[in-house]
Amino acid sequence: MGGYGDVKLLREDGKRLDGRAIDEMRPVTIEAGVLPAAHGSAMVTHGLNVAVAAVYGPMEAHPRKIQRQDRAVIDVRYNMAPFSTGDRIRPGFNRRSREISKVTAEALESVVLVERYPRSKIRVEIEILAAEAGTRCAGITAASVALADAGIPMRDMIVGVASGKIEDTVVLDLDKAEDNYGQADLPVGILPNTGEIAFLQMDGDLSIDEYNLAMEYNFKAAKEIHEEMVDALKRRYEGGEA
Amino acid sequence: MVELVPSLLRQELNRLAEDGQRIDGRGQFDGRDVHLEVDCLYNAEGSAKVVWGDTIIYAGVKFEIRTPWPDRPAQGSLMCGAELRPVAHRKYEPGPPSPQSIELGRVVDRGIRESGCIDMEELCIVPGEKVWGVMIDIHVLSDGGNIFDAAGLAAIAALRTAVVPAERFDVGEDYTLKVNGTPIMASFKRAGGRFVYDPSEEEELGGDERIHITLGDEGHLHSLQKGLKGVFTPDEFAEILAVAEQKCSELREMVAEKEGN
Repeated sequence: MGGYGDVKLLREDGKRLDGRAIDEMRPVTIEAGVLPAAHGSAMVTHGLNVAVAAVYGPMEAHPRKIQRQDRAVIDVRYNMAPFSTGDRIRPGFNRRSREISKVTAEALESVVLVERYPRSKIRVEIEILAAEAGTRCAGITAASVALADAGIPMRDMIVGVASGKIEDTVVLDLDKAEDNYGQADLPVGILPNTGEIAFLQMDGDLSIDEYNLAMEYNFKAAKEIHEEMVDALKRRYEGGEA
Repeated sequence: MVELVPSLLRQELNRLAEDGQRIDGRGQFDGRDVHLEVDCLYNAEGSAKVVWGDTIIYAGVKFEIRTPWPDRPAQGSLMCGAELRPVAHRKYEPGPPSPQSIELGRVVDRGIRESGCIDMEELCIVPGEKVWGVMIDIHVLSDGGNIFDAAGLAAIAALRTAVVPAERFDVGEDYTLKVNGTPIMASFKRAGGRFVYDPSEEEELGGDERIHITLGDEGHLHSLQKGLKGVFTPDEFAEILAVAEQKCSELREMVAEKEGN
C-alpha cells in the first residue's frame, strides 16, 4: 500500500473515481480454449487487466526429484509481460512473481484431484499482458478455467477476487489508483461451491469488522465471477467440439 | 524436452510432396488465415495481436529515456526481443532465453532496424543527454508453427501504432511515433524435399532448413536468415523470393488497413 489518505479516492457523492459504487466490481470477461497449442487455456479480462493461462499435462514429472509417488505436482509460473506495466519490466522471474507463483500453485493443489495422477506434473502458465491492479486474482481465475478446459478433475474452481480499504471505507475490487494510494488490499481465492478459501493474502491495515465486510464483498463478487467462468466453459463445449 | 524426429511424419511429408500436397491440404505457397489486431493492450505504448493459424503472438512497445552512446550523441535506440515462454508450447521450458528465442528476436530486430523505418535521430530529445530507447517485446502465447512471420508482423504493427509517452516522462506532449515503412517477413521451410511457405507445426517437426526473408516497401531485402540443418540452391531461393514479394505486399496492405491509413 502506498501513501495513506493523501490522494482523494472517493467522490462527494460517495462513488469512486471511476464511478463505481463501493461494492461494485470492474467488468469481467472470460473465454476458455483461447490457445491452440495448450491442453487447456483461458483468457480473463478484469477491468483493464488481461490474464492468459495455459495448462499442459498431466505429463511426466522431471527432474525426477520433484516427483511425488502418491500425487501430481502442480508447477505454476506467474509472469508479467515486459509491456504489461507503465515502466517496462525486465523479462524473467523476480521475487514478486516467484512468491505469487508459489502461493497460486499451493492454492490450485488444494482443489485439483492430484492423487489421480501420481508421479506426474501439471504445468500452469499464467501470463499477464496488461496490469491494472488485481493481476494475481485474474491469474487464479484464468488458471482455474484453463484447468477445467484441460479436463483435469477438481473439487471446485477457484475464483480470484479482492477487496480493500480506501479513505477508511471498505471497497470491492481495487483499481490501480486505489491499490497505490489505498490503505489495505485483501486478495483471496474462493471455492464458490463449498464456500472455502484456498488463497489468502493481505497487506495494509484492516479492523476485524473491516475484514469481515471485505470478505463479504469478496464472496459476493466470487459468485458473479463464477457464473462467468461456468458460462465460458459452456460456450466452449456446447458447440459440440469437445 | 527431447524432440523426437518422427520418421513416419517425414515419410508422410515426402509422399504428399510427390503429389504436390501438404499435410493440412494447402498448396505449396498457400498461407494460413491471418488476423491482426492493433492497439489492444492498455499499458503498452503500441501493441498488436496476431493470430496466424494456430499461432498467437502479442507484441508491445515501451519507451524509456536513456543517455545516448558517446559515439552517437544525437541518436536514440531500438531493440526488439522475443520470449519463447513455456506458455506457448509443451516443448518450451522455463529458464534463461534459449538460443531459439534469441534468434527470433534478432531476426525480427534486423528486419525492422535495417529497413530504416525508424530514424534514430528523431529519437533524440537533448543531444548528448537524453534520447528515447524504443523496446519492442514479442510475446509468443501459442506456437502453432511459423512464429517468425507472426512475430515480425506483430512487431511492426505494434511499432507503427506506437505513441511516444512524452507527457509521462515530462518532455513535452505525446505524439505518434514516426515510422517510415513497413518491413514484412516471409518464411519458408523445406518439407517433403521442397520449400513451402508458412510452415505448420508438423512441417516444422518433420522438415529441414528454414529461410526467413524480410522485404521493405520498395521490395528491397533487409534481413535474411537460414536456420537449421540443410542446403539450398540459388534457383530455389529465386523461386521463394518471388513468392515472398507477393506475400509481403499482401500483409503490408493488411497493416495499412488496420492503421486506417
